[in-house]
Amino acid sequence: MAVLVPKSEPHANRSSRLARLVPYLLIAPVQLLLLVVLVAPSFGAAGLAFFRTSFGLDATWVGLENFRTVFADYRFWNALWNTVVFVNVVVYLEIFLGLAIAVLLATQFRLQKLWISVIIAPYAVSAVIAVLMWKFILEPDTGFVNYLLGLVGIEPILWTVIPLHAFAVVVLLEVWLNTPFTFLILYAAVMGVSQELYEAARIDGARGFQLFRFITLPSVMPAVLVALMFRYIFAFRTFEVVWIMTQGGPLGSTDLLSIYLFRNGFRYYDFGIAATTALVMVAVTALLASVYLWNLYRTMVRDAR
Amino acid sequence: MLGRRAPENAVRWLLLALAVFWSAAPIVLVVQSSFKASNRIFEFPPSLWFTPTFEHYVTLFRQWPEFAPTLLNSAIVTLGAGALTLLVSVPAAYAYSRYRSRLLTWSAFGMLAVRMFPPIVITLPLYPVVRALNLQDTHLVLIILYATFFVSLSTWVMKAFIDEVPLELDESAKLDGASVLQLLFWIILPLSRHGIVASVVFVVVYAWKEFLFAFLFTTSAARTAPAIISEMLGSVTGVAWGPLLAAATVQLVPLLVFVLLVQRFLVKGLTIGSTKG
Repeated sequence: MAVLVPKSEPHANRSSRLARLVPYLLIAPVQLLLLVVLVAPSFGAAGLAFFRTSFGLDATWVGLENFRTVFADYRFWNALWNTVVFVNVVVYLEIFLGLAIAVLLATQFRLQKLWISVIIAPYAVSAVIAVLMWKFILEPDTGFVNYLLGLVGIEPILWTVIPLHAFAVVVLLEVWLNTPFTFLILYAAVMGVSQELYEAARIDGARGFQLFRFITLPSVMPAVLVALMFRYIFAFRTFEVVWIMTQGGPLGSTDLLSIYLFRNGFRYYDFGIAATTALVMVAVTALLASVYLWNLYRTMVRDAR
Repeated sequence: MLGRRAPENAVRWLLLALAVFWSAAPIVLVVQSSFKASNRIFEFPPSLWFTPTFEHYVTLFRQWPEFAPTLLNSAIVTLGAGALTLLVSVPAAYAYSRYRSRLLTWSAFGMLAVRMFPPIVITLPLYPVVRALNLQDTHLVLIILYATFFVSLSTWVMKAFIDEVPLELDESAKLDGASVLQLLFWIILPLSRHGIVASVVFVVVYAWKEFLFAFLFTTSAARTAPAIISEMLGSVTGVAWGPLLAAATVQLVPLLVFVLLVQRFLVKGLTIGSTKG
């Protein structure tokens, strides 16, 4: 342990043993909470993956058996594939919409603050309420969307029956719920672009879309990457919206890894299989977060030396 | 010049109208439909002017007597999670702001790294533990779980605010013989009030909306509003939308008001949380 001094001038004469402990006592509650509720259980989950266990059943060591079972299950691969498609579609749509709205609002409207409030309103909507909302709007017989589609002679959206419709609907919900997040991050970035850059580009003859392409976009790229990474990590674990809306159906078309995990764990009570899926999810999350973690390490640990 | 600007302006406002419609239309539709008589709920086009009725709210509380208590539970759990988060984050934030050591650096790194952990993963090992400790169906279990997933962010946001408080104040307070806790509560906290709000808004929003843990770990006594609404959504199919829309409105509107009130703190917290670690 290195020397422990306050950032300011040390009160060398008063530094008793107790005083040295102060910062550690201050961080103890947070660290303890994370250790007990998050870190320890996650080791527990990792351990579970090597046992066959359920209610009223003693856990038996099965080695890699669970991994073999999971990797031989076509439902697992289906869920993994769905997750990959879901995450990519959802995240890029959110970034696109968030950036488009951010650039639009950066041009400044009358009642600007009101419009920003309206755009972030979906952030206040729970997954449950979002499902309720869109179920109401997409109601097959009487809902507004199908009524409108009927007026222009398009087949109704039957998301409880047709796999592609179901998938599109859960994508729609997830995008609707999370666009406020990408918008807020990207709006801050767009507003931060220096006006002088635009002036200079205008003098060079850049107009309209060129200004966006050569000034705005490169300037906000770091923020886009941050939003992209956070949304990849969080979209990957999407559970609530899909579980409440479709439970993975119809025909497994909206089955995601989180749904597969939950079904095996809390419907079939096969904790070993669920834990194995959990390990896969943690591994992918770690991979997705590696850039963030590396950055964190670089700025906090390495540069602090 | 003017001739070119007018159509350009029209396009801007049209695009804004689209964005506003996309974000607000579902919310407005649900809220206003909850005040419409049953036979007018699916009227097309949805009428904006109608005589409001509270019949669905009456039906809701009569048909689902367990709904009102779940609102109270949600409130308890939300306030509890917010309080616990602050209680553990504020001291830590002060330590990370004012002291330096290898161990502190690494513990901060660890704290921010585990923030990325998927909540669903720990449901498996915690499920039997929660049962064994008899914490099943208590407010406490939700409060602890919700706080855990947000203490990292809260600590970091709070640290950024404490960083702004001049060190000279610490110095003089210490010279006056104040203890660290006195210093924290009487000098630092009053000066970083905004930091308190910014570091607590996210856990408040999360706790009010959360479904997975509530669904798994509560059954009746501590059941929260999202959990019961999902039940209502599953059992009532097809026709009886009125009470559901009323329930959605009751759950949604308080948080909507809260989010709009704390909007600028959201932005601040997001910027700190996403760019500085």
